[in-house]
Amino acid sequence: MKIITTLAVVDPDKCSGCKTCYAICPVLAIRMENRKAVIDEGHCFGCNNCEQRCPEYAITMVSRSEPRVVEIHVNRFHPDAILDLCISAKFHPEQVVCFCTGTRAGEIAAAIMDGAKTPEEVSLKTGARTGCKVLCIAPILRLLYAAGITPQKPDGIQWCGNTPTLWDISAETMAKYASHGFCFDLDKNFLEANLAYELGKGENCKCQKRP
Amino acid sequence: MSKTTLMPMQPRVTQYGIAPENLKMRAVDLAGMTSILVKELFPGIPDPVYPGNEVSVIREHATAAISKVDLSKIKPGDSVNILGSHHGFTLLGGEPYAEVLRTVRDIIAERTGTQDIRLRVGVGLRFRESEEYIKRFELDKYFDGKAEGIAPVDRPIVIETEIGALYGLKKAYDAKWIIHTHNSDVREVHFHRQVDRILKPFGMSYARIETRSTYHHNLGPRGANFIARAIFDSPLVQEKFIAAVILQVSPSGIIGIDADNDIYRQNERITVESLNHYGRLVRLLNKIDKCIAVIDCPGPIPYTFAGGLIFANFLSANVDPFDLDLPLTPYCFFAEMAYNRQGQPRFPGVPPINPSMKAVINNYSFKGYPSSFFAEQTPTIVVGNEMAKLFESCPQNPEYMKHAVVSKDLESAVKFAQKIGDTDQIIVFDGAEGGINVSESLRELMTSKANEVSEEVKQDLMPKWLRQRNVSNRA
Ligand code: SF4
Ligand code: SF4
Repeated sequence: MKIITTLAVVDPDKCSGCKTCYAICPVLAIRMENRKAVIDEGHCFGCNNCEQRCPEYAITMVSRSEPRVVEIHVNRFHPDAILDLCISAKFHPEQVVCFCTGTRAGEIAAAIMDGAKTPEEVSLKTGARTGCKVLCIAPILRLLYAAGITPQKPDGIQWCGNTPTLWDISAETMAKYASHGFCFDLDKNFLEANLAYELGKGENCKCQKRP
Repeated sequence: MSKTTLMPMQPRVTQYGIAPENLKMRAVDLAGMTSILVKELFPGIPDPVYPGNEVSVIREHATAAISKVDLSKIKPGDSVNILGSHHGFTLLGGEPYAEVLRTVRDIIAERTGTQDIRLRVGVGLRFRESEEYIKRFELDKYFDGKAEGIAPVDRPIVIETEIGALYGLKKAYDAKWIIHTHNSDVREVHFHRQVDRILKPFGMSYARIETRSTYHHNLGPRGANFIARAIFDSPLVQEKFIAAVILQVSPSGIIGIDADNDIYRQNERITVESLNHYGRLVRLLNKIDKCIAVIDCPGPIPYTFAGGLIFANFLSANVDPFDLDLPLTPYCFFAEMAYNRQGQPRFPGVPPINPSMKAVINNYSFKGYPSSFFAEQTPTIVVGNEMAKLFESCPQNPEYMKHAVVSKDLESAVKFAQKIGDTDQIIVFDGAEGGINVSESLRELMTSKANEVSEEVKQDLMPKWLRQRNVSNRA
């Protein structure tokens, strides 16, 4: 769940039109007009990304008069479908994927089932990736690809592409580095055991019955 | 401040913290506080070269260390990026690391004849932090305007690695050559587990969001450390890499500079050194049965310092974080993701956040790191409305204050924490140099356990730690 308490505001006199903010906003709330950045107030998730990277210090964060809450309700979707998508991306539905907003894999799956086809649309529906902007892009992309979606890149550098997982590392590579303390096999066993823990389908699906 | 306490690190002006004038009282000024020097606990840890000498000693050590490094590939007119991280500036006020960067610059210019030398400093989750350090230490002037902070959302460069495409920061790699400039303190052992620690910035400070997220989600709690090696071994980095210059740190301060063209050889040396020096202090934290932790340092919560360790080391001190047989440390993102909505682990084998920590008082720290989990897991008291407002305004901490209470002043916070924790043992994370500010009772406990810990590390743990990393003690 994301509680939006702030809003980015551009000082047009300072804005040089460099497009940095436009290229990194995780919810595409910024457009360029007459070579100046314009922020859609209703759309801004208060993530500070633009404010932190503007080379001209033209953006400030201000308090919103009313906080806005963004969340997706997982129970709108069939638990088995959520579970199937999470498991195919090797996530437990209750696994936290965004540490700032506390968004769990099941919520990302729900956003995808609700029509999100890009990380930006996932963020709009869940609030994920609007805290630190760093830690949760890989799981979001993993879940989108697992749903058979090849997300279309925005006109910016919001994200680059899917990245490898432990399950993609070849046995040969694992063997080559086995003695260096990476513990690939042990980690794989550990993650798979925990993925399976308490999981089942339908009647047995304990994780989906939690509040 | 009593005569027996150590000077805490001074608050500083930053966009990530409260104004220094709003910090009303330091923990070191609480009644009954004293300190314990790392050297008193572990006389075998080498004397630091800094503090204790002028900062020029850092230049002397760096010059001597780099004199053994081959810089012959760099020709006049070539571009060179000196790569650094914000981490280095958090050590002992930042001047030692700044001096390393200046010295590296001067030596490259002098020995190679090139003038196109740039400084690129990576950050964690506070994207302007390195920019603040660059200004504070006037490195922009020193580097003729060619010093920049680089953030994980900045322009990417694709790095093809043995395990597939990963993404670096274009500005880190936009020179013909790179010099990696880092620090060796144990710091994030909860993440890196002292595996390829010296290489970590290749997968983090110099990397884009996709790579950092891969580290924390995709490869497992120990396997994640392969990311940095995969990037370092990539054709892109191998083509550019000249050498690594490492500020060698022990819990008592800076002990030297290690420079080498062979990063793996260097990593082995530093692994042995760190396990030996930091291993003891980390294990000593394990012997604290109960206490109150006071955060009172210019840094985000997990990166506040006591005796050269960080608060995150204390969060995980109930286990041996160096032991690679243990899948998870109590605090790392692979552990945090394993908690359910009620704040309980979803499966067995998730070690709890250090239960000896009965309460945490947040007197002074920075925003800009996801910390709600810490407040959810341990009773937390935030001192003053300014600090509470700071955390409430942070997009990375929307729920931190939901789990914390606010106290009017530090003394009332301590009284309240003592009631919750039923203990007068206090440890302060305030960045004091060479030792730890503690209460009398905790000083007694730590002193009484130090020998036992030293023996345990020497006899049992070092051999195991080294074996697990395939590192020999002669490295
Ligand atoms: S980053 Fe700053 S200067 Fe660049 S377009 Fe946005 S507001 Fe304008
Ligand atoms: S980058 Fe973040 S703060 Fe800036 S407009 Fe977009 S959502 Fe708002």
